[in-house]
Amino acid sequence: MTDATRDDGYRILRTRGLTMRFGGVTAVDNVDFDLRDGELRCLLGPNGAGKSTFFKCLTGQLVPSEGQVLLKEQPVTGLNTHEIVNMGVGIKTQVPNVFDGITVYENVRLSARRKHTARIARDVAEATIEKCGIRHLIRREVGQLAHGQRQLVELAMVLAASPDLILLDEPAAGMTGDERDRLAQLVLEAARTAAVIVVEHDMQFIRQIARFVTVFNRGAIFREAMIDDIMRDRAVQEIYLGKQADAAA
Amino acid sequence: MEKSLTRDPGFWIMVSIGLALMILGPILIDMFTIMQITQYVVLSVFALSLAYIWGFGGILSFGQAAFFGLGAYTFAVSSIGMGDTTVPLLLSFAVPAAFGVALGYFMFYGKLSDVYLGVVTMVVTLIFWKLANHTAGPEYSIAGVRLGGFNGIPSIPTINIPGQPDAWLDPAQLFRFFMAVLVIVYVALRILIASDFGRISIGIRENEVRASLLGYDIRRHKVIVFAIGSGIAGLSGAMWATYQSFIDPNAFSMEMSAKALIWVMAGGVGTLLGPILGVIGLQWLTLQMGMVDFLNSLVVLGAIMMVLVLALPKGLVPTFKSLAVAGWTLWRRGRGVGGRVKKVASDD
Repeated sequence: MTDATRDDGYRILRTRGLTMRFGGVTAVDNVDFDLRDGELRCLLGPNGAGKSTFFKCLTGQLVPSEGQVLLKEQPVTGLNTHEIVNMGVGIKTQVPNVFDGITVYENVRLSARRKHTARIARDVAEATIEKCGIRHLIRREVGQLAHGQRQLVELAMVLAASPDLILLDEPAAGMTGDERDRLAQLVLEAARTAAVIVVEHDMQFIRQIARFVTVFNRGAIFREAMIDDIMRDRAVQEIYLGKQADAAA
Repeated sequence: MEKSLTRDPGFWIMVSIGLALMILGPILIDMFTIMQITQYVVLSVFALSLAYIWGFGGILSFGQAAFFGLGAYTFAVSSIGMGDTTVPLLLSFAVPAAFGVALGYFMFYGKLSDVYLGVVTMVVTLIFWKLANHTAGPEYSIAGVRLGGFNGIPSIPTINIPGQPDAWLDPAQLFRFFMAVLVIVYVALRILIASDFGRISIGIRENEVRASLLGYDIRRHKVIVFAIGSGIAGLSGAMWATYQSFIDPNAFSMEMSAKALIWVMAGGVGTLLGPILGVIGLQWLTLQMGMVDFLNSLVVLGAIMMVLVLALPKGLVPTFKSLAVAGWTLWRRGRGVGGRVKKVASDD
């Protein structure tokens, strides 16, 4: 597993020399990242390490200054977000991007409708809402929900499109303990049929789901290893985990 | 799960009122008043064009007058040239809609933000206004019809029965025809809004990032919404031209664009009924104030607008809807029936 990035097989996602500069600041610095089909990968790193910028480069929300993104071995650098999404990518952003003025059901249905006929979309939407444990909120307007609930709505929207690659940016933020446990289950379940990348700070949540971990620091990949090795790694602790790791241990 | 259009009583009430007014209006109301109301009907269609793109597509255009004027001039030139009004009416929708596609393409594929979109639509309107004012010479004629510069185009024919250029509609028939157009535009927009296309538009209005993260091409979507709104504005321009039998460059004026914005804002963004009520209320008020010497009607309208924005920021219809729902809930609570306060849907 330690040489997971070395064999030359199929990769659902690859970046080569990915760099994103804003003026004089290099937010993502020459990143070579590989993800195998069906892999669950956690991305760690202190605030400002470039994780969210990295995500935005993957999804076409930002056009990288240099380097390439390969999705299913196809170059997607410079494509529009919706074109990348339509290749089978589902994205949960750091600040939930949901349709505030309409109901939970309609939010999820609009996601399912992109792939399915109206009749099937209805069933998929209801089943996904059920699975995410937000059935009781189905008729509520999303704008009135708590942060953790909105996170679940957005996750339901991502899952309803049944993507092959799922990007989750801080999905556990603002969640109660129960919601977080459910989220962990959902992520593990989703990882059975799709490749998943999770950016998260919540160490308890990370411990529930993480296997192979990539640590970002100052825009570059700092370490890639199994979670247990990462937790023991002094250098990683110094840049990021610090006391959190001690507390969690 | 969602309430379907055919099961919404509000929809049927609106259509019934519209049809009743169309049939009974000329029988029950005197002809002078009917001709006044005809004007409201035309402007209501114009208001609906902005109500749709703003309220259900999130596109705030300061240039609806550009399409209104374009439709009016298209109708004027083609109806005088052809001697029949049927094809010109269709053209008055098609030409502005095509121009809407072109302008929309540059604005939305160029990813202009809301503020710049407002500026561009406003400037386009000003350009049309300037252009129309500079067409006084005989060299500015299309198919032998002179555009007439600031004097405009006179003697625009009244609507005739298709294929019978001499069978002009009398004022009562014209009123009924325009009411029918208003009802059709209203019904078509309600169907469109309730369709998947319309629901995606609402999604785009709510959150463009999420819409594109779901895989929807928001640029293409917005161009279509904008073009439909442009076509409807053009159609209302043609109705205006034939109603007045005259059109001048003021059809392109900022005042026309501003009025549309005010009607929609006052009536309520995100409804179709509100803007129609906005037209009726504010046009009636303007007419009344025209009879008073000591007040400038524009100043009074401006003041009313400011009060409305401060007191009822959502506009009349959504505010009254919330009040009605809250009142109903209180009444039920008072009777011990119970029930939670439900947020009202944003469409009427």
